[in-house]
Amino acid sequence: MTEQILRPPAEIKYAEELDWLESIDDGPKPFSWRLSPRMVRLFILGSEPSDGLDRKIEQKWFGDRTFVERSIVTLASDRGLLLIGDPGTGKSWLAELLAAAICRNSTLVVQGTAGTTEDHIKYSWNVSMVIAKGQSRESLIPSPIMTAMEQGMIGRFEELTRATSDVQDALISILSEKYISIPELEHDNTVFARPGFSIIATANSRDRGVNDLSSALKRRFNFVRIPVVTNKNREAEIIRFRTAELLRRHQIDLEVPPSLLDILLRSFADLRAAAESATSDDEKLESSLSTAEQIGILEDAILHSNFFGERTLTPEILAGSLVGALARRSPEDLAILNKYLHGVVEPRSKEEGGLWPAFLDGGRQAIAALS
Amino acid sequence: MAGVPGRRSTGHRRPVMSDLPIPSSPFGALREQLLEAAKTFADGPDALADILTGMVDDVDHALREPLEIFPVCHHSPASALAMARRLREKQPKVIYLELCEDLQPLLQELQNCRLPVALQAFASELDGFPSTWGPLSVVAPITEASAEYQAIAYALTTRDVEIVLVDRSTDHVFQWDPHGSGKGESAVDTTPEAAGTQPHAGKTPGAAGTAAPSPSPASGSPASALGSAQPDEEQAENAALHGEAVGIQVGHLRPRFGELEEHLLRHGKVQHWSEWWDQYVEQPLINADYDTYRQVMALIGSLFRRLTPANDRRLAIDEERERYMWTRIREHLAASGVDRSDCIYVCGAFHAVSRVAEFGSDGAHTYQISPRTKTRWLYGVIPSSYSAIEAQFGHAPGTVSIAAATWNKALKRTGITPFRLQRSQSGKKPTKAKRSSTSAPASTEPVTDRLSTFLASPPLLDSFDEAELLGWCVEIVRLARDNGYLASTADAIAVFETSILLANMRGRRRPTPYDFTDAAITCIEKDSVPKRRDVRRLCEILFGGDRVGRVGYDSLPPLARDVYDRLAPLGLALEKHTLQRALLDLRAKPELQPCSDLLWRLRYLLPPEVVRPIMGERHLGKRSIQESWDLGLGKYQRALIELGYEGVTVEQVLEKRLRQAVHARQATAATALAAVEDSLLYLDNPRLTDNLGARAVRLLAAERTVDDAPEVLRRIRRLLAYYRANQPGLPDWFQEFVTAGYAHYCTLLPTVCLDEQTTVEHVAAVLGFLFSMENLALSLGCDRTQLELAVLQSHPETPGKQALIWAAQHLLGRLSLSELRERCDELLANPLVLPSFPQYLSGFVQALEPAPALAPFVVELISKAFARLPDSVLLPWLPTLLITLRNQGGAMLPRLIDEAGRTFPARLSDVDSWVPPWERRASGTAAPAADSADAPVPGGPVTDLLIAYPASVDAVANLLGCEGTWRSPGDSAAAGPQSLISPEVSALLADYPATAHAAADLLLTSAGR
Repeated sequence: MTEQILRPPAEIKYAEELDWLESIDDGPKPFSWRLSPRMVRLFILGSEPSDGLDRKIEQKWFGDRTFVERSIVTLASDRGLLLIGDPGTGKSWLAELLAAAICRNSTLVVQGTAGTTEDHIKYSWNVSMVIAKGQSRESLIPSPIMTAMEQGMIGRFEELTRATSDVQDALISILSEKYISIPELEHDNTVFARPGFSIIATANSRDRGVNDLSSALKRRFNFVRIPVVTNKNREAEIIRFRTAELLRRHQIDLEVPPSLLDILLRSFADLRAAAESATSDDEKLESSLSTAEQIGILEDAILHSNFFGERTLTPEILAGSLVGALARRSPEDLAILNKYLHGVVEPRSKEEGGLWPAFLDGGRQAIAALS
Repeated sequence: MAGVPGRRSTGHRRPVMSDLPIPSSPFGALREQLLEAAKTFADGPDALADILTGMVDDVDHALREPLEIFPVCHHSPASALAMARRLREKQPKVIYLELCEDLQPLLQELQNCRLPVALQAFASELDGFPSTWGPLSVVAPITEASAEYQAIAYALTTRDVEIVLVDRSTDHVFQWDPHGSGKGESAVDTTPEAAGTQPHAGKTPGAAGTAAPSPSPASGSPASALGSAQPDEEQAENAALHGEAVGIQVGHLRPRFGELEEHLLRHGKVQHWSEWWDQYVEQPLINADYDTYRQVMALIGSLFRRLTPANDRRLAIDEERERYMWTRIREHLAASGVDRSDCIYVCGAFHAVSRVAEFGSDGAHTYQISPRTKTRWLYGVIPSSYSAIEAQFGHAPGTVSIAAATWNKALKRTGITPFRLQRSQSGKKPTKAKRSSTSAPASTEPVTDRLSTFLASPPLLDSFDEAELLGWCVEIVRLARDNGYLASTADAIAVFETSILLANMRGRRRPTPYDFTDAAITCIEKDSVPKRRDVRRLCEILFGGDRVGRVGYDSLPPLARDVYDRLAPLGLALEKHTLQRALLDLRAKPELQPCSDLLWRLRYLLPPEVVRPIMGERHLGKRSIQESWDLGLGKYQRALIELGYEGVTVEQVLEKRLRQAVHARQATAATALAAVEDSLLYLDNPRLTDNLGARAVRLLAAERTVDDAPEVLRRIRRLLAYYRANQPGLPDWFQEFVTAGYAHYCTLLPTVCLDEQTTVEHVAAVLGFLFSMENLALSLGCDRTQLELAVLQSHPETPGKQALIWAAQHLLGRLSLSELRERCDELLANPLVLPSFPQYLSGFVQALEPAPALAPFVVELISKAFARLPDSVLLPWLPTLLITLRNQGGAMLPRLIDEAGRTFPARLSDVDSWVPPWERRASGTAAPAADSADAPVPGGPVTDLLIAYPASVDAVANLLGCEGTWRSPGDSAAAGPQSLISPEVSALLADYPATAHAAADLLLTSAGR
């Protein structure tokens, strides 16, 4: 089945691993959870030899262990979980892994947009069936959240702060009373949540101020802030992990040289440092310079090399992808990248040599092309 | 383990004792067991086995030492408890402690202090170290929940007990570790805790016992990882209590390389080192018996020691220290003759398992202690704080407060009475308890293996304390509400539940403070922090918060005590940590004048935040009659104590600093004049002022540039005004300064006019000095010819300086105003020099310094430029003019604007009929020629007197070589008596004769009567 799906959700992708963990799990499980909290943590963060397992569980989310623990215990409590952070910090991936580990279903997702309505959170009607048979449970289309309630699962709400405030507030009663009333029906007009139901929402911290959460809703969520990864080793691990996954998905057999990965990491570290010291928005790149951004650049470079290049990843192509991905505004972003190439990369390529001179050339060409 | 990077190879160690197992070791069984394990799990035959068996051998080796070794860890309540128990049980006569030996005299001072405080060694006069290192400062913070404090308190409160500090002196700290001691690489070391919640492969701070202050202690804390809260100001201030000092602490115990620490944290499933230590060592050991405690601590010390990278510089220093300490111990044992079974040696677990040849009371006598340098070290006690300790040694925020809370809780639970130094309120020395004769020397008992049991059994976990957790939950919600969070009882319930869930997930029955903190953050922290403190900081406050120590009066240096005594009339609680507001009405209470003087001196000597005037000023010749001060002497006690290292009284330190300032290598005449000014302001010491002034004269004479001329001019004018207003005569040094300055600047003037580096302002200041001090200088014997010659020799090449020299020539009478005007008109008429006209103008503006009377002329010049220059020339030139005026004429502009205000019409309606004064003069029919021989002689009493008694005038004329004849009043070849009157007056009288006629009629009528 996995082979026929472009991107299998975590519960399908790791089904075998989850089955095995479930079979050996003898810890206490809250509600209808499929795994105990410790096993959920183990599934997400991977196993260590000291865990004494017969097989190794790979780490799937790279970040502070505390964030995972806090997220798990929040889901075991009465409150919803709100993962908040900059774009590309792995919030949605963590949410998916949590849902997959806890209830084996991470697809009950509502995507928050400016067009999201209360119907998307609660329920809507199959109009033709209503005309034919009238309003009944049969003609009702439950939202993913309602389905999660009925089945005692985890519902997900992506980009909560993109939805308008009145729509967000529909969650208040769901999180408090744990039921949804259907006033259109005379009988069987309440859907109660079964044990195990909870909500994982994600919010982009850069959207703060667009549709702020009401205090009442805030109170019903525990916030876990996921910071941008700045640890170089950990970031390298994340990029390797995700890139390998992408290469598998694209069925591309291409090696990423460690020295190129190092160039990418150091470039991002430099650009982040520059962004931190900038005094105005014009002096920093529009990009959040997240780990996901790096993965995107690497993926772009790999695809480019594979289809248009010599099937090897070169520094020139990487530089081209980097400039292409980060130069969103002209002239501001281009000016910053130009300054970076000539102020940092040029001296470094003279000092250290290696792949840096080729990276510099590639960057220059890309900027010239965009200018 | 085999893959541990850079693991030390046993074959390349320095000369140490054999690692071979001791035949009849009680740990034989454990050793065998570990060897088996190594064979099973390791990939190589020797690596793991070496480490594991070596660790057991190390423990055995340490326990076999006849002199009882007590391994400790810093800020460890378990160590402190074990120490308290052991001291009560053993009652040793001598305690050897791993602390710099030269700090020994300070231990007595601890009884006057409220902990935490830090023992400090301070050196500002370096001899033997590069002067760029200075001032050197070492601090050893002492907290109550520490084994070393228990040992010190026991020794100081028990009769016939001696405590001996045996570690290398503070001087050796810098001798041995010049790079790691504050100025070098350890200052940039980062640790997993200091760098946030994520461990990484960075270096850890010097486990050799020293730690430089972290560059920004709280910046990378987990709190800031939250991305919202900045550490509050108070916290940052407390964290900086140690200043730039290098920190040392007893029993620094931490993995020596980042990978090991990261590995331990990852496998231990904890966030940071302090949590790891608490969970895996502190909690299991806090209830353990003494033998287990010792063996486990020694084992951990051995683990970290054996996993030290091969080329670790700190290990070499550690081994050097161990040789030093054992040599000192043996020296003391030999000198005192005390039985070694009556002694105890308190050292870090890392040192307890040392294998240096000098180890042990029977160790080799091969070590020669190197002499100290000649640097003069001063010693004192300064206040410390938990946050300062955390910042200094790279602990996670809140670690030391949690340790203190754990200590207090353990004391209550176990009922152990700790040793405490009582504060002497009356100044009397506290009485010492008698040492019990029934001590229990443990060293005679055979060593039994406690490690096997300890390692094989799961740790004894603390039982769940519901009341404690409930208390925390309620309190955190209260604190959160106080700090702007919308927290409620529902949050308290959620925190309670989450704490338990988190603790269970982490394998604990009792939620630790770390679990509770995570739970509180999860449930209460939202997307922003409403006020200054975030939930993590609130949790720190909940667990005891930061505690700031205080040094008692008796332990203060004489200077600090003197300051407190002399400020006593203010009636303020100066020892308090809060700012104190002092109000001084010096007219109503003149007796407070000495306090005011002292405060001004302190303000001069201490950092600005310590003593800050809110109202009141002190300048030369100006004193306020009412003053108001913010005094932070309690809060910034360290600054006052460190001032105390410089002298016995504030006045002595001030005098010393002023003398140092004028004798410094980079001292100039301007700095010396500043010192003179300061001495007049703050010290009533004419002898000192004279000395400083004399130095200023010498410095001025030795200067070869005029870089400081503007500053010198400003200060000398101020001093002149002060002396003229306040003293009957000018002091000798001042007179010398003026005469020397006159000659000096006359000599330099031609050179600086040509020097490209010297700006117009500097030349203006030189001329300003020469002309404003001219009268005084001439009266003191200087010769004006010198100045005239200097001006004649000056041939500047830049327009600005040329303008200045013209102004000088005008002042000397060599260039009349009309000639000056003519020259400037020529400049304006010459298109080739027009572009440089702004520079001329700038020079004339600067010339207002030496020649303020030229102000009307400068206004005229600018007006002419605007009037005559065509727009095509004027407009491009205008920005240059403005920039030149702004950059170079800032100080003179107000004078210029005043003059322009007088010159130009005030109302718009007058503009049309306004004729500039210079044009009116030019068009006047009878412009007076002041130096003409045909000028009419004015009449009046003076003329009458001179004509009546011409002898004196003739004599002066003869002397000056003038020849002339006497003329009578009104006698003129050109005109009648009317020419005596100015043309404006004549014109006015001619136009409006009525008033004059009326007055004349009146006078005639009166005369007729």
